[in-house]
Amino acid sequence: MAQITEQLKKEVKEVIYEFFAEECETSIDNISDSTNIIGDLDGDSLMFLELIEIFKKKYNLNIELKTIGKYAVKHPVKTIGELINMQLLIIEHENNILTIE
Amino acid sequence: MTNKSALLFPAFITDYTRKEIDTLTSNGIDFTDYVRVASDKLGIRLPDFSYDSEEYRNDELLAQVIAYLFGCAFSDLLKNNAVKPNFGAGYSMGIYANLYAAESISLEDGILIIYRAFELVNELACNGKYGMGAIIGLGVDDINDIINKSNINAEVINTNSEFSYVISGKKADVVRTLDEAKNEGALNAIPLNVNTPYHSSYLGGFANRFAKFIEFIDIKKSQYPIISTYNQRIVDSPSEIRKELVYNLTEKINWYKTMQVLLNNGVNEFYESGAGKDLSKGARFINGEFKFIRL
Repeated sequence: MAQITEQLKKEVKEVIYEFFAEECETSIDNISDSTNIIGDLDGDSLMFLELIEIFKKKYNLNIELKTIGKYAVKHPVKTIGELINMQLLIIEHENNILTIE
Repeated sequence: MTNKSALLFPAFITDYTRKEIDTLTSNGIDFTDYVRVASDKLGIRLPDFSYDSEEYRNDELLAQVIAYLFGCAFSDLLKNNAVKPNFGAGYSMGIYANLYAAESISLEDGILIIYRAFELVNELACNGKYGMGAIIGLGVDDINDIINKSNINAEVINTNSEFSYVISGKKADVVRTLDEAKNEGALNAIPLNVNTPYHSSYLGGFANRFAKFIEFIDIKKSQYPIISTYNQRIVDSPSEIRKELVYNLTEKINWYKTMQVLLNNGVNEFYESGAGKDLSKGARFINGEFKFIRL
């Protein structure tokens, strides 16, 4: 179980902001934690999938894609801020994410 | 490193970039000319194109026609700019625009083939009992487990990448598979806006009739090698093109393997010749050193 530090939070936020700025061809200044991923950025599930793969590689995470999918059904993500929080939970709990409340 | 390029043709348009018409116009291409040709060939007046047109989005035939016309218009743009591809591949019904770009068929005959294929399969689809769906986030074994465990009449008919698949079959079974896929942890599982189970075994019975129709179409040797999405062989002769047209309608395809074969042949530049950017989006999950050149 990884320790979530302030440094890690900053790093995850940076990766997610930079990812959506590049993928959605927008300035990073147009993105905030309250930005709606689908409504404001025209994001899609393929982007979500790509982002998961980036984090899996970056932090060597032991988590199955379908575990994340099951978690996402129960805890849907709409904004960038919510996505950052979900990603931190994935890093923290990996395959045990479904056991947390 | 020598650059090798390939033209890729989408089958349908999920979302327009809304820059398509401006791009064509600024390159001296009037898209209304293409719509006019299709209208004349079909003997009906097609609606004027707009990005928000419900008809071009929801009518299965018109959706194919407009994707084809954009594919052809963009291939003409590339031709006018002296782009000479080393290969080409058409995603599903993108085969028709690919054949036009390769100078194997005329713009008009492409329309005719689309219409005849649609008319044939519509015998099956007109009762609204068939459909297709896309599943993202599960592996093919997971999807096949869902289908086999529940004795569902649906098939995986295309692999876009390791975690992106298309299914086809009876509509109720497609919906059931999609629901089960969500329960199993798919990141997305959505029905596609079609009533035809393209590329499934349900269309096998139409192969002979479609092949007989294709016999009467004037097909020339392609100006560049085309990679089959059915079995990834190189197709360029008229006889192979005729076979491929039938396979492409009635057999399973594999876009992931098709892209890998293009990469293995040294392709490192892809042009998405059509509206939207569905193919470049999907290519994020294909390993290799390549770039997509946005038109």
